[in-house]
Amino acid sequence: MALLEVEGLHAHYGKSHILHGVGFAIGTGEIVSLLGRNGSGRSTTLKTIMGLVKPTAGTVRLDGVDLAGRRAFRIARAGIAYVPEEREIFTNLTVDENLRLGIQEARAGSPTWALEQMYDYFPQLKERRNTHAGLLSGGEQQMLTICRSLLGNPRVLLIDEPTEGLAPKIVKVVAEVIFDICRKGVAVLLVEQKLTIAMRIAQRVYVMGHGQIVFGGTPEALHNSPEVRHEWLEVN
Amino acid sequence: MTRNSFFLHVCILVLMWTLLGAAWNVLGGFAGQVSFGHAALFAVGAYTTIILYLKAGLAPWWGMPVGGLAAALVSLPIGFLCFRLRGPYFALATLAVAELFKLVALNWESVTAGPVGYLITTLPPVRLFGTRLDWEGKPPFYVAAALLGVIALGTTGWLRGSRLGAYLAAIRENEDAAEAVGIDTVRAKVVTLALSAFLTGVGGGFYAFYFRYVDPDAVASLNLSMEMIFIAVVGGLGTVGGPLVGAAFLTAVGETVRARFQVGHLLAYGLFMMLVIRYMPEGIWGRLRRMVPGRRRDGAA
Repeated sequence: MALLEVEGLHAHYGKSHILHGVGFAIGTGEIVSLLGRNGSGRSTTLKTIMGLVKPTAGTVRLDGVDLAGRRAFRIARAGIAYVPEEREIFTNLTVDENLRLGIQEARAGSPTWALEQMYDYFPQLKERRNTHAGLLSGGEQQMLTICRSLLGNPRVLLIDEPTEGLAPKIVKVVAEVIFDICRKGVAVLLVEQKLTIAMRIAQRVYVMGHGQIVFGGTPEALHNSPEVRHEWLEVN
Repeated sequence: MTRNSFFLHVCILVLMWTLLGAAWNVLGGFAGQVSFGHAALFAVGAYTTIILYLKAGLAPWWGMPVGGLAAALVSLPIGFLCFRLRGPYFALATLAVAELFKLVALNWESVTAGPVGYLITTLPPVRLFGTRLDWEGKPPFYVAAALLGVIALGTTGWLRGSRLGAYLAAIRENEDAAEAVGIDTVRAKVVTLALSAFLTGVGGGFYAFYFRYVDPDAVASLNLSMEMIFIAVVGGLGTVGGPLVGAAFLTAVGETVRARFQVGHLLAYGLFMMLVIRYMPEGIWGRLRRMVPGRRRDGAA
């Protein structure tokens, strides 16, 4: 059984129907990338899994337990963590306070992370632990958000465009960390705009179009399907 | 009124408004949930205290905490209803609730005595730690008000350093992100509202005790909610010392102008408000703190 199974997920923003029955699955320690053009519904899929957008139909099963329709904090406590595109750090709090807010008790079957471990990962954050998070650079804010979500000891990590607007050097660091996270047994669902990065990091990829999954397979399979790339990914 | 007792009266007002400003600030400043309906909670505290005294003989100094508890209790269903809404919608909902309370106070004559209201004619002296306290003078009220001011500032000081305080800072900044890190935002807000309501209700009880008169216009009007907001905003949103500074400034300005001009004192008051909001959006206390180097967060929103 897959760790996270999404089936027939529908979501609306007001009257507009955004997700039309999205379904896919992720196993423990797997990195899966969600691809697609802007507006194809990738970010909404993450938000709906997280409970920040209420699904109008469908199921989101974590280890067999359906979480669809629950409030976001319950989903977070069940073991799903979310790193939004906007990073959403708490700018009025210090780096340390931000991290402490993310701490949750360890739950059975999920890898655990400690605060000091985060500081070892990113020594820059340790140096600035008493700085207001609003004063951090974009890259540091991204690290902070990832660390904060890891401190909740998640089983599944949803990351939306982690490399957006970051310098190439930082992109490499973030990619390394994502590898490390999945090596510890966390399943990672990655929304990534940059095709090359997604193809390199992910073990499997799904392509979205018009609020549905239109392709699922290995990066090689996508590489060998120019018609899929042409119709759903490339800008023409 | 003699000069001395006028001065004490102003001090008592400042301290009472400190309590009320701090009470509003707990929810509006720390949690970022702007309420226009705190007058309703104030009214619950005031009516509870005065009715318990007049009908059951419970001394007002015991009636005040009971009034606070009553306000906290009343705030729970209000919170569950209004916290479904965010931002300006929440503010409008609280405004509607407060108007509803005022209508109830005006029309539920068997309990609230309607528009006539209640009047305390005599307050019996009380023995406290061996001293006789006579409530005809100002000093005992001054001591009581000072105590309430200290309690209010102590509560906000505790809140700022607490885990709940960190939750509220997160909620104020981004509710979705707070939920996503596992914070039960509705629960945190309801608990905070109850705390804010308790302090507001105690303030209402003190008002009834000190002014000895409660009617819907005096204790349930929108002006009262606005005054609480002004004090917190002028003093400094989400700061501990802000409400004291805000209350001192606005009471001093209000009373001075009132003593000088019969009409137009509200105009001067409003002008002062506008100047502060325009030139010191972080409040007087927030501005003062920023001028002291090396101090840590006090989180002006």
